[in-house]
Amino acid sequence: MLKIENLHATVAEKPILQGLTLAVNAGEVHAIMGPNGAGKSTLAYVLAGREGYDVTEGSVSFDGDDLLALAPHERAAKGLFLGFQYPVEIPGVSNLLFLRTALNAQKKLRGQPEVSGAEFMKAIRTESEALGLSMDMLKRPVNVGFSGGEKKRNEAVQLAMLGTKLAILDETDSGLDIDALKVVAEGINRFRSPERGVLLITHYQRLLDHVRPDFVHVLAGGRIVETGGPELALRLERDGYERHAA
Amino acid sequence: MKGDIIELPTRHDEAWRWADLRHAHDIGNTLPPANDMLPEIDQHWLDIPGLRHLTVAGHPVGDSTLNTTASPDRTLPRHPLADLAAASARSGATLHLAADEDGGTIQLLHIGTAGAAHSVTRVELSAGARLTLIETFADERRDHWLNHRMDAFLGEGAVLVRIVRVKTAHGLVSERGAVSLASNARFTQLVIASAGSALRSEAHVTLDGAHAHAVVNGILLGDGHAALDALTKVEHRVPETSSNQTFRLVAAGQSQVSIAGGISVARHAQKTDAEQSLKALVLKRTAAANLKPELEIYADDVKCAHGCTVGELDKGALFYLQSRGVPRLQAQALLTQAFVADALGVIKEEPLHSALDREARAWLEART
Repeated sequence: MLKIENLHATVAEKPILQGLTLAVNAGEVHAIMGPNGAGKSTLAYVLAGREGYDVTEGSVSFDGDDLLALAPHERAAKGLFLGFQYPVEIPGVSNLLFLRTALNAQKKLRGQPEVSGAEFMKAIRTESEALGLSMDMLKRPVNVGFSGGEKKRNEAVQLAMLGTKLAILDETDSGLDIDALKVVAEGINRFRSPERGVLLITHYQRLLDHVRPDFVHVLAGGRIVETGGPELALRLERDGYERHAA
Repeated sequence: MKGDIIELPTRHDEAWRWADLRHAHDIGNTLPPANDMLPEIDQHWLDIPGLRHLTVAGHPVGDSTLNTTASPDRTLPRHPLADLAAASARSGATLHLAADEDGGTIQLLHIGTAGAAHSVTRVELSAGARLTLIETFADERRDHWLNHRMDAFLGEGAVLVRIVRVKTAHGLVSERGAVSLASNARFTQLVIASAGSALRSEAHVTLDGAHAHAVVNGILLGDGHAALDALTKVEHRVPETSSNQTFRLVAAGQSQVSIAGGISVARHAQKTDAEQSLKALVLKRTAAANLKPELEIYADDVKCAHGCTVGELDKGALFYLQSRGVPRLQAQALLTQAFVADALGVIKEEPLHSALDREARAWLEART
């Protein structure tokens, strides 16, 4: 599904990713852990196509397409979803308008008919109920006045609504209390399926208690330096990243 | 051939520093050419029910039940362009409403052709009367100058909603509304300009009776080489009056958009509650925005809140939308629409609100 080979990327001309190679197949959940400044968030932004994150070498293919040749909105329409560490507030644009605009823009690009108002409302009611976000909140401007937990629930609603194939979740557990963490983890577990992939970027093992990954990778110095199963996360929690320090 | 030399303000005068009056200088008093051809105007009407009246180059066109005499309020203070309109207008609209009369919605469409045209709208609302007045300025794809004044008096408890739409692509529109409110009267104005040319829009509102309330809002959408300039002065002359001004300016292309927003509170006008919010969004580095709040407060027991910001589109919000599948241009349009929504929100009456919202959205989607 996702194949990253020898990826090098810079931010403001500073090299951050330095030869990262990783493959995520459909049905797999990969956790990427690593110390601060290792390049975890840079990897997420490079994959989503954020301006200012420049790829200098390497390739990324997504379902056979050259991901790096696509604009951010085209990547989304192909099924790539970036869950933000700090979801952005957008005053003046309601969550409902935002999501419906996004959904229809994706459908347009895929050559599918737009979703009707009634279908959309039915779908969003189901998802928001499952993730504990009231319809009243969805009528409010995107993330404005939302707590950290509510923002992450909102991300989970979007993840569910947007026909995602591969979810890249950037420290989706940061700023969450235990209850919110469980809700978000449940959102990820509901999303898991044999057709979908997940790339979980996290600092801590805590989220992995609720979402059991198939693979755990250590990202340090801009490269994957170690790969293992869930037990690797436990060891990292115990021993830290010292042995990976450059 | 040019007409008489006329005295125009210059940019040395602080109140006119951002106004682009070049067309007025060039055109002067040149009369519009005689032309029996009716311009294409259908697209300029706002698609809502109500009485319609068309003026082309200062002349009334077609049958109208309106009183089309120009009857400016000559007691108002001197003003270079408003005085010129009063002296030169050959027609206008005079709207007198009796006590508690509901005048519904009246649309006045002013079309500029080549040359200068002056017009006057006079509104007198007796106690409890209500009127929605939509004044639209558009043109025939030729340089021209439309100079207009609207003088209004709102009696006790009267309600006037005035929408000024400026859709010209060429020349200059200078328009000035002078409104005085008796106690409990309500005045709401929204100027919505999506012009590619020059605009000078002034509002001078005086609150002369307790509990009078004025809303003076504007949305200036500049593109190309447009120079859109607004100036407001809301005068709180007696105790316990309130006002709200919300201006949202968007500068694209090489346009310049400006607002000088004035509030003045007289020494004895205690318990005044005035708010002002001026914001500009500069979409291209080649465009410019000027914002100037001007507060003169002589009373001490008043609330006067004001805010003033100039910025670009939030890059974080733009990427967030793109990452969810919204193409960049559509994302820009959505964010810009959200930006102007505050100023548009004051018009709550349907179908007027929807019609204006559609227009603003169409402009933004085409330009951003």
